[in-house]
Amino acid sequence: MSREFKLPELGENIESALVVKVLIAPGDIVKEDQTIIEIETDKATVEVPSDIAGKVSGVYIKEGDKVPVGAVVFSVEDAGSAAASAPAADVKATSAGEKAPTGSEAPAKDGKKTAPASGGAGSGAASGAATASAGAGTTADASASASAETITDVVLPDLGENITEAMVVKVTVKPGDEIKENDTILEIETDKATVEVPSSASGVVTEVFAEANKHFKVGAVILKVKSVAAKPAPAPATPAGPSPEEVEKSKVAVMQHKIAAPSSIPVPVAGASAVSIAGGTVQLSEAELKELKEDLANPELIANPPKIFLDMQPPILQNAAPAAPSVRRLAREVGVDIRKVPGTGPGGRISLNDVKAYSKALHEGRVSEQPQAGGGGAFLRQQPLPDFSKFGDIERKAMSSIRAKTASHLSYSWATIPHVTQFDKADITILEQLRKQYSPEVAKGGGKLTMTSILVKVISAALKQFPQFNSSVDMEKQEIVYKNYYNIGIAVDTEHGLIVPNIKGTDKMNLTQISAQIAVLSEKARAKKIGLDELQGGCFTISNLGGIGGTYFTPVVNSPEVAILGVSRGLYEQVYRDGEFVPRLMLPLSLSYDHRVIDGADAIRFLRWVVEVLESPFKLLVVE
Amino acid sequence: MIQTKLLVIGAGPGGYAAAFAAADLGMSVTLVDLDKNPGGVCLFRGCIPSKALLHVAKLINEAKEAKNWGVDFGEPRIDLDKLREFKNKVVGKMTGGLGQLAKQRKVYFIQGRASFTSSRSVKVELNDGGKEEIHFERAIIAIGSEIISIPIFNIKSDRLLNSTSALDLPAIPEKLLVIGGGYIGLELGSVYSALGSKVSVVEMMNGLLPGADRDMVSHLTQMLKKKFDAIMLESRVMKLDPVKNGINVTIQDKTGAERVEFYDYVLASIGRRPNTAGLGLENTKVELTTKGHIRVDNTLNTTDPYIYAIGDIAGDPMLAHKATHEARVAVETIAGKRTAFEPAAIPAVVFTDPEIAWAGITETEAREKGIKHEVAKFPWAASGRATTLDRFDGVTKLIVDPDTERILGVGICGPGAGELIAEGTLAIEMGAVASDIKLTIHPHPTLSETVMESAEVFFGESVHLYRPKK
Repeated sequence: MSREFKLPELGENIESALVVKVLIAPGDIVKEDQTIIEIETDKATVEVPSDIAGKVSGVYIKEGDKVPVGAVVFSVEDAGSAAASAPAADVKATSAGEKAPTGSEAPAKDGKKTAPASGGAGSGAASGAATASAGAGTTADASASASAETITDVVLPDLGENITEAMVVKVTVKPGDEIKENDTILEIETDKATVEVPSSASGVVTEVFAEANKHFKVGAVILKVKSVAAKPAPAPATPAGPSPEEVEKSKVAVMQHKIAAPSSIPVPVAGASAVSIAGGTVQLSEAELKELKEDLANPELIANPPKIFLDMQPPILQNAAPAAPSVRRLAREVGVDIRKVPGTGPGGRISLNDVKAYSKALHEGRVSEQPQAGGGGAFLRQQPLPDFSKFGDIERKAMSSIRAKTASHLSYSWATIPHVTQFDKADITILEQLRKQYSPEVAKGGGKLTMTSILVKVISAALKQFPQFNSSVDMEKQEIVYKNYYNIGIAVDTEHGLIVPNIKGTDKMNLTQISAQIAVLSEKARAKKIGLDELQGGCFTISNLGGIGGTYFTPVVNSPEVAILGVSRGLYEQVYRDGEFVPRLMLPLSLSYDHRVIDGADAIRFLRWVVEVLESPFKLLVVE
Repeated sequence: MIQTKLLVIGAGPGGYAAAFAAADLGMSVTLVDLDKNPGGVCLFRGCIPSKALLHVAKLINEAKEAKNWGVDFGEPRIDLDKLREFKNKVVGKMTGGLGQLAKQRKVYFIQGRASFTSSRSVKVELNDGGKEEIHFERAIIAIGSEIISIPIFNIKSDRLLNSTSALDLPAIPEKLLVIGGGYIGLELGSVYSALGSKVSVVEMMNGLLPGADRDMVSHLTQMLKKKFDAIMLESRVMKLDPVKNGINVTIQDKTGAERVEFYDYVLASIGRRPNTAGLGLENTKVELTTKGHIRVDNTLNTTDPYIYAIGDIAGDPMLAHKATHEARVAVETIAGKRTAFEPAAIPAVVFTDPEIAWAGITETEAREKGIKHEVAKFPWAASGRATTLDRFDGVTKLIVDPDTERILGVGICGPGAGELIAEGTLAIEMGAVASDIKLTIHPHPTLSETVMESAEVFFGESVHLYRPKK
């Protein structure tokens, strides 16, 4: 058996990720925790570590693929099936295998199938049917007969967390022994325990490489076993794939539409109109097989077939909605699936008014329909754009996934949260002196004492004083969720876009720790190495644009948080104090908040509190 | 090198319609075809010339029938050269007109053969010898289909015709064998029969016009049995042996018995197939279906995002009007409109005498697929208009969903069926129910009344046909 590594859960609401880099190839030895791929989610680029170890037998994704969570990324050979190779065996593991007929046809017929594709083309319906039935043998069966004498490598299996090698204490088999799968073959000692290692293959032991008191790495070959059972055979010798009929059928059945058919399928000629499938034989290349397998393993494709191919459906839709062509067109243009519109006319005929009523109902949320992809917000439909090229030269570029997510998320936040922004200024003349004074001290911790790190500390304390600022709104349950943890997010401007990692447990950190953490996160964000956990679980966001300039701005609350503090550039201003104007360093602050949970008075109280602490940091010691 | 927003390869009813529609939407369009004007097979070598000849055939037949009505024109004298000239004039007028329309729309027309060098470019071997490179933003492949040939047709004889050479009227054969009982063979066979040839048809299947409902075809078969010399069903041609002034044809009947028959001309018309060879598709991401068509989605986009395909090359049925409709969908999609190819009915017409036409599902199809349906038939023997034409061999039928009373299919056999089917097609597209047709006033006395009366038959209340009420 081979084991598969599936794309793990990436966090809330992340269903798929774009593969940016594949770092493994078939034949590689992968260790646990080794980075195997780099993916880009809506939020960041992430290195994905393997949680299995062994020799890579197949990699099922490629760079540029969008891979759903749970999809098989690669497989490793477990001990035992080292020689059993990918294509034939793995088709079976996917849903294609379930669809494929499992009849065990004689190998002779399958042998014929592997013959070059010139065979039966053009010989018409009869031979087409014959080939179809001959195609019933599965690839696994086909290879079974060929593999009666297979020698299988048994490797040291994955031993669990972080164990990369182990010392063999005892070898319990010798050449000539007949062993069954799961028979104990070794005892090993790791730094945690002594473990009996079961065999992953059945057969007669031909060679033993394991020796007592020696260290072996996970994945190393410890035995060779001559298989007597019918195990999947090495694939390269038997490129027999499913027949084109099976390929077509399983493709159609499983994915309905989206398929990649081998373009080398011979074309039937005269009189073949009665035969919907070519009567020829076809040899699928490994690449084609792999492609098919990838398609079949992709649940997203199955759930959302991206294209409706006309050759997969009769030329005339049998389930065509009873609506005039003009009505059907309108429905398509306004994004309504005509088949879902209840028709009020005779015979269920759908009128223009039915479509309008349905569309209206959709927008009012009375009928739920999957939001169409590509819209700006989660529920708002984009108005048609003018043809900009009429006005001058244009260029269209795909949004990066970070940009797309930012656009969608901010649209949602902005449209669902009743925003109010409160402005104030803090006199940070003294604070600035203190900041400079303590900078060298903080620098020793690896960070830089900045206004942002000070604000992280101050906000953490403010959230304790004003718990409604550390909450989320659950409109569905009509509840407010109060959080008893303090994770402050910092908006980081990177060349890839806006990223908001957060620092966890800021209430328990001192400024040196916070500053060091900010330095680490900023660097990670810029290098696209932010981990997903660092993007999740934020309570409150600080967006400091002061480094660039500006006075005030109205930041958008980072939903499901309820408030965000915008920081602009501090400037010396004339301040009237004790009967005279004095120059003071004033820091403009902009607090946007969710008016559903925070009232205006609370907001200015919160902001005043923050300002007072900035003006007189001693206050922190008093309240804490 | 030419740069164009849209490249259309093939200028048949799909290609030129696409090019014109795109030009009307303001795109810069380049249209490539081998012929000197737009038109394609349909106008140069198909629908249009065959209909010109069928019109003449109809005239000859009616003149003959007139004898029964007291008018005798005598035996027709046929001037083949003049007839050919008429046909060529029709073709020239139509295609020349299209050439004008292309110019008016500023469609850049290039005569040559295009082959893809990438998903965004083609090279064209110009008819006059040069070469041209075209870079495009989007391309529409509309090169259509080619005549199917099989090995036994590989003989050297000018007596073996195909649908193209038969339209050139090389002679009026004394004995003509038509291989293939499909619509092309029957239409051309009818032409030659009217011109005076003794026509025989050989067909592999057990009936003419595979695909059409048998009750429709039976009227035609009966008429053809009178006009043709022989209709050989479940028979196949085993061998063609060119001899002096003709071909000896070995025909095997359904019992397996073979006999040899002499014909001075043989017309091979066993069908058409998509031709993608030489298009350079291997340089694109375009994929083919198992039947050899280019795989397209419901916006006519191929598996290559830059390339679209319409018409015969993009799938069955191989009909000009399907191609024209697809052209519009493809162009509108390219123009960024949200549209799709989703007809409820594609009408088919066989221009024999009587004509056969159908739209939507056929009765056979409904039965095979287990679609719940009722059939309402109105025989033309009960039609006043048909009687005035002295034609009783027609029938109009509706295939109706008994639950919703929606019209699912319409089949018509009789003179002018091709014109009448348009109403049926509209009914299906509009989701009309039988009452809609019944309650629409149809002009009297016309054959279109048969559509209304068949709807009345559905309710058991036809004026001119007594059927017990259901």
